[in-house]
Amino acid sequence: MTAVIDKGKCNGCELCALYCPLDVIHMEDGIAVVRYPDECWHCGACRQDCAHDAITFRFSPAMLGI
Amino acid sequence: MTAIFGSEIHRAKADVVVIGGGTAGLNTALAATEAGADVLIVDKAHIQRSGAIAGGIDHFFAYLNTGEKWDTRDAYLGYVAKVARGASNLKIHEKVFCDELVPTMERIEKAGVSLHQPDGKILRTQALGQPGPYAINFDGKLLKPKMAFEVKKKHIRTVNRVQVSNLYLHNGEFAGLAGYDVRNGDFYEIEAKAAVIATGNTNRMFKSQTGNPFNLWYCPANTGDLHRAAFDVGIELANVEYVRLTIVPKGFSAPGFNAFFGMGGKFVNGLGHPFMKDYHPMGDKAPRNMMVWGALQEVRAGRGPIYVDVRHLSAKDLGHLFLQLGIDKDTLPEFLKAKGYDREGTLIELTVSEPMQARPSELCGSGVKIDETCASNVPGIFAAGDASDQMGCLHMCMAGGYAAGKHAARYAATVSQFRWLKAKELDDERNRVFAPLMRKAGLAAGEFENIVRIVTTDHFGPYKSEVSLTSAITKLNSLDRFRDELKANNLHELMRCHEAMNIQSVAKIVAHAALARKESRFVPYHYRSDYPDTKEDCCGLVVVRKDGENSVATRFERLQYAA
Repeated sequence: MTAVIDKGKCNGCELCALYCPLDVIHMEDGIAVVRYPDECWHCGACRQDCAHDAITFRFSPAMLGI
Repeated sequence: MTAIFGSEIHRAKADVVVIGGGTAGLNTALAATEAGADVLIVDKAHIQRSGAIAGGIDHFFAYLNTGEKWDTRDAYLGYVAKVARGASNLKIHEKVFCDELVPTMERIEKAGVSLHQPDGKILRTQALGQPGPYAINFDGKLLKPKMAFEVKKKHIRTVNRVQVSNLYLHNGEFAGLAGYDVRNGDFYEIEAKAAVIATGNTNRMFKSQTGNPFNLWYCPANTGDLHRAAFDVGIELANVEYVRLTIVPKGFSAPGFNAFFGMGGKFVNGLGHPFMKDYHPMGDKAPRNMMVWGALQEVRAGRGPIYVDVRHLSAKDLGHLFLQLGIDKDTLPEFLKAKGYDREGTLIELTVSEPMQARPSELCGSGVKIDETCASNVPGIFAAGDASDQMGCLHMCMAGGYAAGKHAARYAATVSQFRWLKAKELDDERNRVFAPLMRKAGLAAGEFENIVRIVTTDHFGPYKSEVSLTSAITKLNSLDRFRDELKANNLHELMRCHEAMNIQSVAKIVAHAALARKESRFVPYHYRSDYPDTKEDCCGLVVVRKDGENSVATRFERLQYAA
């Protein structure tokens, strides 16, 4: 379960990495990366703060399968 | 210390330090600042998006004096007395909620978040045992960032990404705290005249439905950090024996309960039959604990799975429902669509959520025991929001958070000078905090935490007895030997190590408190199989306090309600 960041759309503004309440998003080489995907709460804060539509959500097989 | 981490030490002073910058904490900071105090907020995440309403919130409980007999202060207090009987102290409730309600609603609107619908009307729905529709539906998606903006406008100092690791007293009064930056490893030593604890509850304490401990109804960053630290300095906790659960969509522990049933959804079992009238006269509008109890009984009787049936709702109401669900949890509507639940004629499968250490009702809290001024038993330490024993939910965190800020500022103004923080204690704390980074090999935080979750879930998640609780305490104590083996490879993992230890510590406290309540109340939140009945002489608070290493003292404080 996790937020997914489109590297092509990310402009490196850092807002998602700055605000992520679970500390799962970090900056790597100027691009936001979901470093701890298993710890995502799916709160959607990062997507709301992204001005470039770079963030989507993927639901894990367990979430969709049970 | 020769390590890189912790070598940079930041020292700060404030009249009032607010620990936790969620809903309650930000209201506390605003109130204390307006009262003239110099305030510092310390948040483990970032105040822009931290806490329970990071991604949004969709309802606010209030009575509005519209002329309806259920819509008055007295009627509301009658509801609190009925639904939170034995956990809510009405005198405190009046002070931290009723007295603050009107200015709180004005504050929300002033911050730029409307409690009204686009047509200018207030839309209210009824659920959770309410005698009338107390839940104002509103678009609170931006409430948290807007409040953070209010804090910035007042130039309130804020330290983000700092996990508070311990509190310190001097001659029995609050002196300050220590913490560390989870992003850069700097160490913080903060002296303050007063502290307000506003760090929520302990949400990763039990197994979750998918097995992922971060797939939770409430914020997984809330790990009892300050419940543990407060307890360690002699602060009394109350209402911590309760293990809170709710009803969530199968696969995704997200809010939605209030929207589903407030909008008229029907709770049905696997046979397609509504069942809640068998458990409570209010049926699907019953208090939350009874909805959970009903669901557990149906599943246990082989009539699962459980569903919410919304097929009878009009297209307009269904549209509003999915809109509300997305306001409360940004990603929930697309999850429901991914599961095919937006198709006509489909029942939405629900389940009982993970248990958590939290309040037994929306009308009280679970944690630091507070009085009418939000003060704990330790001079200088206050509590607000979910972290206190008397506040919970958005309405009380907004209103009571503000009350706590006023009282903390008033107290700080009476303190002439800062108390001592002892250098030796801070040095020891710095070594303790960063120790998991120094180990070459060891146990991962997740593994340790998983063991805690297995024990808690097996022994009191939620059903419990003297045997199960005593056994849980033995097992949780035996885990202490692995604490010195916890290994972190980076600062993020270091934070998880401390969270894991805090969850374990709070789990022990919860088990001790549950042992002391020899009855059942708010079933299944406190269901003792050896004491299955609710007893009138147990109507009150189990208050717990540290009594030596791994020992907990308990006392009972009776709560009075009008007949």
